[in-house]
Amino acid sequence: MLNYDFKWSILWTDPYGGWILEGVATTIKLGVLCCIFSMLLGIVIGTLRITQFKPLRIFAEAYTEFFRDIPLLVQLFFWYFAVPSLLPENMRTWVYQEIPDFEFWIVVVGLSLYSSSRVAEQIRAGINSISPDQFNAALSTGFSHYQAYRYIIIPLAIRLVIPPLTTEILTIFKNTALAMTVGVLETTFMSQQVEAYTFHGLEATTAACLIYMIITLIVVGAMGRIEKRLAVPGLIIRKGANS
Amino acid sequence: MIEIINVSKWFGELKVLDNVKETINKGQVVVICGPSGSGKSTLLKSLNGLEPFQEGDIRVDGISLNDPKTNFIKLRQKMGMVFQRFELYPHMKVIENITIAPTKVLNQSKSQAGKKAMELLERVGIPEQADKYPGNLSGGQQQRVAIARALAMEPDIMLFDEPTSALDPEMIKEVLDVMVDLAQSGMTMAVVTHEMGFAKEVADEIIFMDEGRIIERGTDKSFFENPESERLKEFLRKILI
Repeated sequence: MLNYDFKWSILWTDPYGGWILEGVATTIKLGVLCCIFSMLLGIVIGTLRITQFKPLRIFAEAYTEFFRDIPLLVQLFFWYFAVPSLLPENMRTWVYQEIPDFEFWIVVVGLSLYSSSRVAEQIRAGINSISPDQFNAALSTGFSHYQAYRYIIIPLAIRLVIPPLTTEILTIFKNTALAMTVGVLETTFMSQQVEAYTFHGLEATTAACLIYMIITLIVVGAMGRIEKRLAVPGLIIRKGANS
Repeated sequence: MIEIINVSKWFGELKVLDNVKETINKGQVVVICGPSGSGKSTLLKSLNGLEPFQEGDIRVDGISLNDPKTNFIKLRQKMGMVFQRFELYPHMKVIENITIAPTKVLNQSKSQAGKKAMELLERVGIPEQADKYPGNLSGGQQQRVAIARALAMEPDIMLFDEPTSALDPEMIKEVLDVMVDLAQSGMTMAVVTHEMGFAKEVADEIIFMDEGRIIERGTDKSFFENPESERLKEFLRKILI
């Protein structure tokens, strides 16, 4: 019945092994960059969503809904295909041909914007779970609003939402797979390419699965350590963080 | 020092402060009491601009809170505040809770602010807790840290919003002792509390509020011995048992 000819060795045969490793490196670079940008943006947008200044609040709300409500794949297509087509012909050619790793950076932008809207919601939830008098207490000692958020509210909110943020970071790493649709040579793309060249799709795809698994487990481990280090002593009893 | 001039405030339709008039002079201790929902905490929070009000004016050292040019950040540096639920910063050590405002707002050096913080912790009787986190302290200790945190900015006025209501009975005294000490040192204080023992001991004036209005005011003798309004009589019967 089973007439599939397993040949796991193709995974470490030249050039296929090299391709996959290159793909892994790209996936990690992409994931790390998107995590950094989406965290920074998310913290800013999430905080703006509860600011007293209405125009900023409306901007942040529009931002969140815009990037959260459209499928990531469509957003990537939008940034990669649609936006450059608004440019004049010669500039468009220049963008596609002369910007090094244009498709890579487009995904960094697209995925960071998309993920930051989700991070913003987590941060907002964290801030909303802090008693208003905590903010009042900070103001009462002479802090400006900015200082109260900077030193008290945001550090506290981040600590409160580390568990959902961990899930968000995992999602970012998994979403990097969509980068293949605009031609980024990351893990999924490379595993597909190995299949195309060798017809050993099962091995190549299995390798991709394991690679994503390993990356995400490393993220989970790292976040668990961060969570433990930042745990608020005596206040939040953390259960389920890997110890 | 603080003049409250015909202040009214609404939450939507609900009038929570109704034409409140009051003057707190330098060095005075004013106790505000009344049933829950009477507007006393709202009044206290309006004194340092944490709660806006729609009518009237409040002047602190002659500075009008209605004046758009008023710098609330500067104003609040001179008015320490202590909250019912302590509101310490749980992710910072006790000592950092006290030093953060002086270092970030007044640009004091870490060592200068730290030295001052230790003095304040001595004053409130818990220097040994400096390196603990708030979550590892008892309620009474947390509230004393909160008082030290407010004092670190060297305020001229201290506002207390039910500072002992969230405490276990045996911890109330340790906080009240610190407050009595503070009152006797000449600090100007506005205290929302039901601790009538404290009021008798140090209050220069006691205000009774109900439904956003000041119903009755007096010194401790007149207040406790000859309450005029039915509402206050009833209130005192309930809380003095």
